[in-house]
Amino acid sequence: MGRTWSSMHDFEVFLHDGGMVEVDDDMPDEYRAAVFRFIELHANSELMGGLTERDWIPRTPGLRHKMAVLAKTQDEIGHGHLLYMVAADLGVKTRQEMLEDLFAGHSRFHNVFHYPARTWGDQVAICLLVDGAAVPSQKSVYKDCSYGPYKRILKRIIAEEGFHLRLGEERALRIAQGTDTQRAMFQQSIDDWWWPALRLFGPDSKPDDRLARWRLKSEKNEVMRAGWVQKFVPMLHSYGFTVPDPGLTHDPETDVWTCGPIDWEPLKKTMAMDGPDTARRIAEASAAWETTRWVRDALDAAPAGAVT
Amino acid sequence: MSTMTVDNTLRDRAVAAVATVDDPEIPGVSIVELGLLETVTTTEDGTVAIGLIPTFSGCPALAMIAADVEAAVTLLPEVGEVTVEWLRSPVWTIERVTDDARRTMATNLTLAVRADSGPTPCPRCDSPTVEKSEFGPSRCRAVHRCDSCLEVIEVMRDR
Repeated sequence: MGRTWSSMHDFEVFLHDGGMVEVDDDMPDEYRAAVFRFIELHANSELMGGLTERDWIPRTPGLRHKMAVLAKTQDEIGHGHLLYMVAADLGVKTRQEMLEDLFAGHSRFHNVFHYPARTWGDQVAICLLVDGAAVPSQKSVYKDCSYGPYKRILKRIIAEEGFHLRLGEERALRIAQGTDTQRAMFQQSIDDWWWPALRLFGPDSKPDDRLARWRLKSEKNEVMRAGWVQKFVPMLHSYGFTVPDPGLTHDPETDVWTCGPIDWEPLKKTMAMDGPDTARRIAEASAAWETTRWVRDALDAAPAGAVT
Repeated sequence: MSTMTVDNTLRDRAVAAVATVDDPEIPGVSIVELGLLETVTTTEDGTVAIGLIPTFSGCPALAMIAADVEAAVTLLPEVGEVTVEWLRSPVWTIERVTDDARRTMATNLTLAVRADSGPTPCPRCDSPTVEKSEFGPSRCRAVHRCDSCLEVIEVMRDR
């Protein structure tokens, strides 16, 4: 049996001193609930992302990219699988309950999976801009994460997401060298995905963020967002594309790009399960769960050791 | 490794250059340590031919690894044409992963390598683990759970 703390104060001192929490520790309920919500959101997002990726397997141009999309699908579903196991170990909900809540529209997943991916350009924009936002966010969680089982899995996930981002950069460069039609398609995708990807970081962090105190986040949202803008604005400009932000400013002395005012209404709508593609996404995920029920039933019915 | 070596020095330097390329999904572990390097052939006029074998043929990182290897070898002085080829044989097996790589994967990434016989030990506490899913985030990895410390781990495997 793990460790126990007599009060939240003692627990916070333990965290402040760099302590790591493990699954069998008797952690405070509020911390347990917060870690659970955090990992459940991540797991749901991996699963929803994997399902989007899956939609593109038959439509992806070229064998090489098709292999990459197949593997990325496996990555995301595999990440979801690992994360659901770690989340379930916290004893708040079972994996079955988490999935049922997701398919019933009762639990959240990241805003970027509430939008439709209509063209290959959208897939490239997602692979570049969304993965480009996910990697620094995950690194910020990983860097000082107080919950051991999540931190150790995040390390592997980050390595794999970094590989996706490299694919995204390669695809963007390729499409930038394409025909006028391909370039116009990608410009449309940038216009559609720029703001959802930017909003993935969330609004500015509050001065006393509980998640920061509990070492579930180590970087302020606005700092990560600024880094993302600084990375992708010059990249897209150098490829000859524009960024759909009329308020974008550039400081010639420091060479720093700063985004204009951010409209948070779309983020609120996705968090309220009312994004442009939310209903279809959930229906698809739910249908995928139902049509594969027979596989789970067959595995559950098999005697132990019969299926490996 | 089967070789037709003319210039040992160039060949050695080429092997060292290939060893600087890490697996794109396993930072800190080179593709040489994973056993992906099969042949290195050099000629007197400086051409280098690298033969690699994949962990499995559908691996999405093949093009990226080949490009990284080509870039690393091309940087060498006195090197001429560099070719990188994915060979169809021999088939990669888990035995090709070096002990150093196994230690790095266990320590840095809680990533185990499937045991030859019996249960695969947990990279954290050495207790037996149980397979929970044949496939994890990659075709060459299964998902296991440790009976003792409850860690969810990935296990690299060749079949």
